[in-house]
Amino acid sequence: MGVRKRFAGLKGWSNDLEKFPTILMIPISIMLNLIAIFPLFILAYAAVTDWSPSTGSWFNANIIWYGNLIRMAEDTIFQMSIVRTAAIVLIATALEFAFGLILALLFVEEFRGRRILISVFLLPMMVIPAVSGYMFFMIFGSAGPINAIISILIGETYTLSWLTLPNYALMATILMDVWQWTPFMFLILLSGMLALPADPINAAKVLGASQFTIFRRVSMPMMKRIIMIALILRSIECFKLMDGIYIMTFGGPGYHTQTISMWLYEAAFRYLDYGFVSAVALVIFVGLGIISWFAIKPLRGG
Amino acid sequence: MEITTRRIIKYVLMALALIPSMFPVYWMVTTAFKPMAEWVPKVAILIPKNPTWDNFIVLFDPESASYSSFTAIRDPITQALQNSMILSVGGTLLALFAGTLAAYAISRFKAGGNILPQLILMFRMMPPVAALIPIAIMFSAFRWVDTHVGMITCYALFNLPFVVWLMKSFFDEVPKEVDEAALVDGWSYWGAFRGVVLPLTYTGMAVTALFIFILCWSDFAAALILTGSRAYTIPVFLGNYSASYGEMYGPLAAVGTFAVIPPVALGLAIQKYLVRGFTFGAIKR
Repeated sequence: MGVRKRFAGLKGWSNDLEKFPTILMIPISIMLNLIAIFPLFILAYAAVTDWSPSTGSWFNANIIWYGNLIRMAEDTIFQMSIVRTAAIVLIATALEFAFGLILALLFVEEFRGRRILISVFLLPMMVIPAVSGYMFFMIFGSAGPINAIISILIGETYTLSWLTLPNYALMATILMDVWQWTPFMFLILLSGMLALPADPINAAKVLGASQFTIFRRVSMPMMKRIIMIALILRSIECFKLMDGIYIMTFGGPGYHTQTISMWLYEAAFRYLDYGFVSAVALVIFVGLGIISWFAIKPLRGG
Repeated sequence: MEITTRRIIKYVLMALALIPSMFPVYWMVTTAFKPMAEWVPKVAILIPKNPTWDNFIVLFDPESASYSSFTAIRDPITQALQNSMILSVGGTLLALFAGTLAAYAISRFKAGGNILPQLILMFRMMPPVAALIPIAIMFSAFRWVDTHVGMITCYALFNLPFVVWLMKSFFDEVPKEVDEAALVDGWSYWGAFRGVVLPLTYTGMAVTALFIFILCWSDFAAALILTGSRAYTIPVFLGNYSASYGEMYGPLAAVGTFAVIPPVALGLAIQKYLVRGFTFGAIKR
């Protein structure tokens, strides 16, 4: 009875202004509830426990409420991974923006072979991040091409094992991200520059403004939104950095290239510290949620 | 005169940028064609002296390895390749189905108000590992770990934000008058969507599908965490072998070369739309 009644309620759905959008939203609602909302409850529960599958089932775990917050305040390895990730995000995004901007400026004007060269410069962006991790593992290996080039320059065999030294490994990590994602900045900035209206720029030219002044005073202000979007998206993506590091250094040497994602991975799936990791994940969710709520404003404006 | 100098400077700068930008790819692809003796020589070999297909053949037929004394690649890549294909296509189709319907409802009927679309977008901002922890817990309860069904659902969910926002941007480009005219002509809401508006966005759907396929194919974190010996994908295959046999440069470079062919080819095919893709439809051109 009830079922038939419910189906009767759906009759004429495709002519009903109220029902039609609801029907369209059914598949996405099922998916979001099943593997986004429901897991969120699991996360919220685990976050207040000291649960670890190595010691027992979830229902046997002790509820320790804010205990995991205290652990966060005491765990320096975790805190360092946050600081390190923030540093990588800042340096990498800044370098990507600088290089991307220079490249975009080189490509604004038409020249022969421009289209093909743009495709060539975009290539790193399409490489699978895990694969670029392996590329940089090869390049910085003790018998890799970087050492070979240095050997030729200094005239004797040079076999520095870059990835086993903390600072160099961190530098390699940043280089990998810069190499892979400068094309992203380049592409967005270039498309922004090409979409600029010609009139204000021509007017400035007629008034005798120099190329640099036009760029700083006319082009850049008009590209403000695009620049904001590029910077926001890139820093958010960079914050997630993991795939390449996993293959290139696995967070090593020691913890020296461990980003927050690598920390989460190790703590959750190596040490099975589900309770603590869930608490951290929840804090990240809330923190990033607040940041991205404001950060994605320029995205909505489109 | 001045113009030529500027042009020369420009080309020099481009050449300077091109070398670091191309070198890692160049090194991997050439290494994939080097015989074992050239992997770690005293002096790095820029151009393979005796190019060979051996490294690729080993991937499909591990028995054929000439260096079997410490054979690294024991399983052929076929299973990983098959899994990557199934999961990427399945994830793309599922995300496209659920996302396109939702995108139309959001574009035309403001379904979910202002909040829901934004929440969907915010989901993509989270580090995948953080989202994967509860999903892994749930999947182990469902017995969905290391299955195609589980991975396809996971890929679809992770890429829904892109589909919803991209397809919304394509639907927004179709004037509302098109729907209205269809309704006046006696079409139902579904009819107007399916018969009139959707066909106008087929290009957009194709672009979105290829874009999502690239993202699924490139995934590492989800497959690493949620798969084991059965549903593992090519990046995980690479990760497993590089962890224990990282010095097997030739075959692993071959895996890498092999793995990047589809995303590079498809990426170049939809190059015009990449900006729109990566900015969730916010920047259209």
